[in-house]
Amino acid sequence: MSVAGVEVVRKPAGPPVVPTGTVDEKGRPVTIACATCHATKPANPDARVGRPLVMFHQGLGGQHGNLSCASCHNPADGYASLRLADGKGVPYTDVMTLCAQCHGPQYRDYQHGAHGGMTGHWDLTKGGRARNNCVDCHAPHAPKYPTVFPAFGPNDRFQTGGGHE
Amino acid sequence: MSESKKVSLPVLGEVDRRTAVKAGAATLGLAAWAAAIKPWFEWTAELNTDEFLQKHYRELSPEQLQAILNRLTDDARKETGKAVTVKDHKPLPGVSFAYALNLSICIGCRKCAEACHVENNHDRPSHQSYIRVFEMQKGGIDFEKGDATYSHPVPAKDKYYMPVQCQQCENPPCVTACPIEATWQESDGIVVVDYYWCIGCRYCEAACPYHARRFNWEKPQVPAAEVNPNQSYLSNRVRPQGVMEKCTFCLHRTREGRLPACLEACPTGARVFGNVLDPDSEIRWVLENKRVFVLKEELGTKPRFYYFFDK
Amino acid sequence: MHYAGVTTYYRFLRRSLHVATDGGWLFYAWMLVLTAVALVGANAWAVQVRDGMVRTNMTDHVSWGLYIANFTFCVGLAAGGVMMVIPAYLYHDHDMHEVVIVGEVLAIAAIVMSTLSVVVDLGRPDRFWHLIPVIGKFNWPVSMLTWDIIVLNGYLFINLHVVGYLLYTRFRGRTPDPRWYVPFVLLSIVWAISIHTVTAFLYCGLGGRPFWNTALLAPRFLASAFVSGPAFILLVLRVVRVGTDLPVNPGPSRLLVQIIRVAAVVNLLMLASELFTLFYAGGSHLASARYLFFGDHGKHGLVPWIWSAIALNLIGTGLFFTPAALERGWVRPVACACVIVGIWIEKGMGLIIPGFIPSTLHEVVEYAPSLTEWKVTAGIWAFGLLLLTAMLKVTVAVFTNQMAEPVEAAGPGPTTGS
Repeated sequence: MSVAGVEVVRKPAGPPVVPTGTVDEKGRPVTIACATCHATKPANPDARVGRPLVMFHQGLGGQHGNLSCASCHNPADGYASLRLADGKGVPYTDVMTLCAQCHGPQYRDYQHGAHGGMTGHWDLTKGGRARNNCVDCHAPHAPKYPTVFPAFGPNDRFQTGGGHE
Repeated sequence: MSESKKVSLPVLGEVDRRTAVKAGAATLGLAAWAAAIKPWFEWTAELNTDEFLQKHYRELSPEQLQAILNRLTDDARKETGKAVTVKDHKPLPGVSFAYALNLSICIGCRKCAEACHVENNHDRPSHQSYIRVFEMQKGGIDFEKGDATYSHPVPAKDKYYMPVQCQQCENPPCVTACPIEATWQESDGIVVVDYYWCIGCRYCEAACPYHARRFNWEKPQVPAAEVNPNQSYLSNRVRPQGVMEKCTFCLHRTREGRLPACLEACPTGARVFGNVLDPDSEIRWVLENKRVFVLKEELGTKPRFYYFFDK
Repeated sequence: MHYAGVTTYYRFLRRSLHVATDGGWLFYAWMLVLTAVALVGANAWAVQVRDGMVRTNMTDHVSWGLYIANFTFCVGLAAGGVMMVIPAYLYHDHDMHEVVIVGEVLAIAAIVMSTLSVVVDLGRPDRFWHLIPVIGKFNWPVSMLTWDIIVLNGYLFINLHVVGYLLYTRFRGRTPDPRWYVPFVLLSIVWAISIHTVTAFLYCGLGGRPFWNTALLAPRFLASAFVSGPAFILLVLRVVRVGTDLPVNPGPSRLLVQIIRVAAVVNLLMLASELFTLFYAGGSHLASARYLFFGDHGKHGLVPWIWSAIALNLIGTGLFFTPAALERGWVRPVACACVIVGIWIEKGMGLIIPGFIPSTLHEVVEYAPSLTEWKVTAGIWAFGLLLLTAMLKVTVAVFTNQMAEPVEAAGPGPTTGS
């Protein structure tokens, strides 16, 4: 399990692939890399959400500030990587570097163990620790933490309602 | 009595009859008394003498303590059919625990309360947990406008959420209150209860300003299959009826270097735990860099549980 | 004739037992009813011990209920007896001196009741020995509860000694030696104040409970004790005068009424002062008082209780101020009953319970005693009255020289009444 002294940050999968909706002869879904299409079809640089698009990506709704697709997705290598604000590419697995550009305070808190869930040891000399990365909890295209239904509440005798209007 | 009868023979018809009636009434009274308190003996039949005579935890020799742990382990294994171990975790030297909670990112999902419920072998029907999460009205920290029984998707508009558990005060009113030292503060700051010493007077519960203590109003019901087998004498072993219990910062985990169950369960990472004596610890960073506050600071209890807002 | 001390003392106990269990049909009926109620209480308690405190209606929010409420009242009752002792011994009121022992006997019964009220509140009465100094672990002087245990037991022993000594010397036909009891009587005066002060400190020392956290609590406890205690004694004196041969002069009762007049007004004044501070200033301290008097968040469980208490206290106080209260008639017992019930509610349902509502985190969980709690509390009262009746029987017998055995009364040379 966890190894002493080691803090493991979960990493997202590599570059995304797009399902084509078909399967190959072995039943595996056929997917294609971004560049397959984008080599010939230039992206709309103004696009902010997927919905208005006519081919692919229509399901990508949500809201992430005023960012456009190209703010984060790197056209330079056929969208196989992410793009930092200075134009440099960064692999998908290092997505946190990208997020940190805008979300400095959160990234700082994260680095100090004060943001993002973790499991394992507080005392790293006794064992390791596993941590989430940004996109484990925040969907990149709709990063606001979703509303959830809470786990069961107290069931004390004689406690009726909240006690409050 | 027989002597008095002999001495007072002359007048004795009346007195003798009265004495006989009184004796009869006394016998009947005793019988009625025995019948009335029979349930007491049904209860004591289940207790064991070792437990009754057991000394205070801090006065037990290592051998006595080991014998008790063995007995508890055996009993728990028999009762649950699971490989339960009841250990005794001593405070770690050079460690002083503190906890901080980021109210800006807590969403009120109660995952921490649920994790506590499972981890600490809490009574199932009452949904017992050492953590109560309050849904608070933005615009102040006013529990009068809070509600712990909310049941709707969270986070709700204009609300924030405030989980409250034992604040492990440095100056704990509960410890002061206890007439028999059944609860005390350990060197790492955790306030514990000896479940075999507590008499259940609940003065500590009246003294606690944070509603952090719980009483076992009846024997906790935990289905055998759901019992957490990793238990410790002063923390999560299944408690007896009629004694106090409280959050122990999961000492059976944290004194092994692990994080408390409530922290691991938190999906947003609102909780920060660690050793304040370690300058590189996460908790130290929070205490030094965030504007933290404690609940009811004016009472002078000096909690080790801090809250802060990001924005 | 010469009797060894042991034999005489044994005879005293034997005669006491005889006298305490002998009487007319009304007496037997009274004792039978009390025994029956005490047994119902004992049974309810045994069931509560077996099944857990879940038999009560207390919760983690309202963790003390009827038992501790009754405890508080009984401590006041015990302390109230001192209002006979002070005039009798400090002001040498001769008539009061004649009947002061009634107050001391009541103190014994009241302390027993308050101790029982705490015992039934324990989740683990089997571990009672943990409270015994040396063999247990007595958290003295830190815990206020240990102080309370000391002062209550001390008060019990002081009164047992004084009452026992006075009765035994009277039984032997001797004049009590002041050196053997006057110092204890004087000590009991200070001690009586201490039991109720320490009991108030139990509550007002808790910073997390703003409703109790007031310096006025101990004085209020004392003032109300000096109403309820003398009121109870007035009732007992009435029973003693009507039902026994013990001569009871009108003087002591009139003095007690005067004491009640002062104490009741002081009590009401302090209550008013407390309420003014709470309601005028407002804030979080007000929450409990608002719930108590008017209900809060749609919950009104204690409202009828407190207004009944206030009405009874006002009516009782008003009646005590009528000239009729100084005479032997119906006004005085009615006034006594009013203030006794009024103060029982004020100190219990009106003070202990609202300390927990709302909770320290402002949750409003209501409380009303369960049937088990009523049974146990009734049982404690029945047992206390049983004890009081028995002790009064012996006291009256000793003071009216009726302790002699029938045959000896007819024959020569009894040691008593010489």
